[in-house]
Amino acid sequence: MDTKAKVKDVIVNLLKVKPEELKEGQTLEQCLGVDSTEMVEICIALQKEFGVQIQEKEVAKYHSLDQIAQVIEAKKI
Amino acid sequence: MIKKIAITGFGIVAPSGIDKKAFWANIKAGRSAIKKIERYDSSLYPSHIGGQIHDLDAYSHVSSRLLQKIDPFSHMALIASELALKDAGIDLDKENLNNIGIFMGNALGGWLYGETELRDLYIEGREGVSPYMASAWFPAAPQGQVSIYYGIKGYSKTIVSDRASSLMAIGHAIKVLSKDKLDFIIAGGMEAPLSPYGLLCCNTNGDLSTDNEHPEGAYKPFDKDRDGFVAGEGAGLMILESEQRAAKRGKKVLAYITGYGTSCDGVDRIKPNPDGKELARAIRLALEDAQYKPQEIDYISLDGAATREGDIGEVAAIKEVFGPRAKEIPVSVPKTMFGNLLGASGAVDMIVTMMAMEHSLIPQTLNLKDVDPQCAGLNFVVGKPMEKEVKKALVISRGRGGINAVLAMEKA
Repeated sequence: MDTKAKVKDVIVNLLKVKPEELKEGQTLEQCLGVDSTEMVEICIALQKEFGVQIQEKEVAKYHSLDQIAQVIEAKKI
Repeated sequence: MIKKIAITGFGIVAPSGIDKKAFWANIKAGRSAIKKIERYDSSLYPSHIGGQIHDLDAYSHVSSRLLQKIDPFSHMALIASELALKDAGIDLDKENLNNIGIFMGNALGGWLYGETELRDLYIEGREGVSPYMASAWFPAAPQGQVSIYYGIKGYSKTIVSDRASSLMAIGHAIKVLSKDKLDFIIAGGMEAPLSPYGLLCCNTNGDLSTDNEHPEGAYKPFDKDRDGFVAGEGAGLMILESEQRAAKRGKKVLAYITGYGTSCDGVDRIKPNPDGKELARAIRLALEDAQYKPQEIDYISLDGAATREGDIGEVAAIKEVFGPRAKEIPVSVPKTMFGNLLGASGAVDMIVTMMAMEHSLIPQTLNLKDVDPQCAGLNFVVGKPMEKEVKKALVISRGRGGINAVLAMEKA
């Protein structure tokens, strides 16, 4: 599974939303109405899943799935 | 000043049933909903029986996404508020959300959520704790969740005063409504005390019955063999508005709230004063507020703490206020069927009283077989419900250390 698909999996399972609700090209806030507390949860879950450290604002609700995947990809190298 | 506040709808989520039909059928039949707590190994707790709700999820209109962020006590409040709004025929799209209030009562907070996260804190460290812990646990969380769910933005409040919480919340709500500051208020209480830590809190007060071998017969207020109350979980919420507003929107009024009185015993951390003097004062204040004479009261819904001081003090207060008529007025403790819902108990007692008014049927007290001689002299409704028209009634709710709250109600 590639990084983007894994990130999608983490978010969908965490928030208990349908995969199709997480839309391409939209920010998490736009497609899921994610709030700041949910973002804290998402960051912690991504850190655990990928074994990387994510700083505040690197992954935020105004980012899309693609942008989040890119941030994690860069950290994995 | 508006004197009479109308109740135009309610939602009940209780061990005896969710929504009015199932609930009333069980109350009318005198069925006990008290059982052994089996969600976890409760056998290590001195008291491990309670009134539990098993089918909360079946009634839920709340998404799984939200449910994982809230404690069951907020979930119960969301269901009860939905039922209450529907019962009152209110379409929030047509209301000014700035003019709606939410007045809630709760005693313990959301410990099922809280204790799970605290365990994670000790096992996994700070990153193991859900960021929702802070907003899920605290006693005003249900008020916040109902506000967020419906976008309600008016003056609102949560009152924490042990078992008197919801009656006091409703008492405050009618004072705010009587000043015509809000269009209507969702008022009542919710409590989910049957988690391990919640149950421990109740146990350490020493107020719970330890008659674990006989769950259905354990809660026996005013009986010479009483040994405390049995806790239960649930929520009771009502829609309160002015009589004029209810008439304007053509809504049938279910009952009126006409008076409120409150006082404190001020003698002990846990026990109320067995002399009942301060409770008597609260009863008089409620009667004066409602402009009722003691002889007009047709029914009293008792607190029924099932502790020595609680029971003796309550009977003494009624005798002091009502004199020779104390032995005639029917009194009962319907919550012997489903448990004492702590912070939600007063609101649920009001709902039961409202149903008693509607059906002209006073629910019984279960398990009261041999009245404690020190509690004798009242007309306890036992054995079966009593057929009687109830025009005016009082509801008594008391918290630890003698927090007294009394509401006067009137049939519509």
